[in-house]
Amino acid sequence: MNLLAVLRAELLKLRGTLALWMCLIAPGLVVAMTVLQIAFRFSKPVDIEPHDAWMMLARAIESLWAFLMLPLFLTLEAALLAAVEHGNQQWKHLFALPVPRYRQLTAKWLVLTALLIAASLLMPLLIALGGGVLMLLKPGFGLAGSPPMAELYWPILKTVAAALFMLSIQLFVALNWRSFTAAVATGMGATVAGFLIGQSARFGPYYPWALPLQIFGGDGRNAPWAMSLGLAGGLLVAVFGIWHLSRREYPE
Amino acid sequence: MNPAIECQQLSRRFPGGKGVHALDLHVPGGSIYGFLGPNGAGKTTTIRLLLGLLRPDGGEIRLFGERHRYGDTQWLHQVGALVEGPSLYPHLSGRQNLDISRRLLGLPATRIDAVLARVDLSNDADRRVRDYSLGMRQRLAIALALLGEPRLLILDEPANGLDPAGIIDLRRLLAELAAEGVTVFVSSHQLSEVEQVASHVGVLQRGRLRFEGSLHELRERYRALLEIRCDEPSRAMPLLEGFAAHIQRRDDAILLDADAGSEVAINRHLVENGIAVSHLARENSSLEQLFFALTGDDDATNDVEAAA
Repeated sequence: MNLLAVLRAELLKLRGTLALWMCLIAPGLVVAMTVLQIAFRFSKPVDIEPHDAWMMLARAIESLWAFLMLPLFLTLEAALLAAVEHGNQQWKHLFALPVPRYRQLTAKWLVLTALLIAASLLMPLLIALGGGVLMLLKPGFGLAGSPPMAELYWPILKTVAAALFMLSIQLFVALNWRSFTAAVATGMGATVAGFLIGQSARFGPYYPWALPLQIFGGDGRNAPWAMSLGLAGGLLVAVFGIWHLSRREYPE
Repeated sequence: MNPAIECQQLSRRFPGGKGVHALDLHVPGGSIYGFLGPNGAGKTTTIRLLLGLLRPDGGEIRLFGERHRYGDTQWLHQVGALVEGPSLYPHLSGRQNLDISRRLLGLPATRIDAVLARVDLSNDADRRVRDYSLGMRQRLAIALALLGEPRLLILDEPANGLDPAGIIDLRRLLAELAAEGVTVFVSSHQLSEVEQVASHVGVLQRGRLRFEGSLHELRERYRALLEIRCDEPSRAMPLLEGFAAHIQRRDDAILLDADAGSEVAINRHLVENGIAVSHLARENSSLEQLFFALTGDDDATNDVEAAA
């Protein structure tokens, strides 16, 4: 069975699940929170160019996404993907099929990555939509015309690469232990710790949960490092996780 | 026909002494093999070892003559399995559940309708599994096991959750599959569930195989025991030593594996020695009682084994 067939099976499992809806809900929530915050906070008109107003809105949304919502999103998505198998004791059925375990686990990792990419691709569209709402609610904010879409996409796609390290760790934790609570607690704890560690110039650039935020730090100078470490760490943890989970026993 | 399953000295221990110990299983190809034992006897552990979900501590497993190693999945092409209750995605329909496994197995879509019809779920195929009854879920799980047209079907307690009509349907299905040449390995903690269809049985207790053979052999073995009731059983037992290899006391009765036709001589011998015999007959008990004897406490089991 090739990987494509396994991926199709994985996608079928997602039908009608919260995991799929979260791709819309998570970025939508960040956009809504930021738009409402701006609508109620800015009392005076802002004297900036429309392009700068768009970028100001985008940076506010993208930073909140990278700092808070992205780690929580990946925590929940990883836990939900794993719970689909843990909850119904699916492993004993899946691993009694003539499909190599590493292929099934690789498909799981690819699906989680695809969900991250889907949410990230939706983000600029939702920023544009949020900007449209803000034009109605707060004309004085300075938004006008159409948003600079290319400039909205690049930073958010860079966060995808930076987030892979965190994604692989979260997925490993969620798959290795049956407890949904343990997976969520790990992600939430690591996210909260990231509030402090992420601000540290010494440790922040190495902390997986803070890497997406590094994309926006130092006027973009930290982005190459964050993307490189995110990709390398993500692949390393994914390979280890798949190797470990392929070899382990399934006594329950 | 080659044996479908052969295990030699298969062992897997868990902390606390549970597991299976030096298991020698021989499941003839094309048979319906009832794998029996009380809860906790090691049936599911054995099945997990057979399916490669657990790594054995020792021994080897051969399926259709091929030795299989932990981690190798190729041989699973020949196997369909239901392990410890149905593993289903409740948010999806029955058809979608089958479609997931179908895609993983690389089978044509027509197989789905074929197995749905086989377990009588065609009319409910598009309902969500969370709305299924326990029996329907069990039937869907059996359909999943049948999807790949396996040569060997391993079913762990498949009658769980089935109503009496469902159990009869299951027996009929197993018989049909065996007639088609499929080897069926079915575990149960109740002999009555399999005795009507099984051609062979293995009885497991505390991780050890207590009996393996055909149902006919099981019946013959039990019928060989002669039951005697008399006024002085303690004095009678040494007098019977020349008539049987093994003599066992159970409450007021004496059980012995005496040869057929020896009843008259035994009776005369006891009476001549001043013992009043009130009952002397071959035990006319059910297979179920033998099953209990085999899977009861160790002393009783050893007695029966030795008697056999």
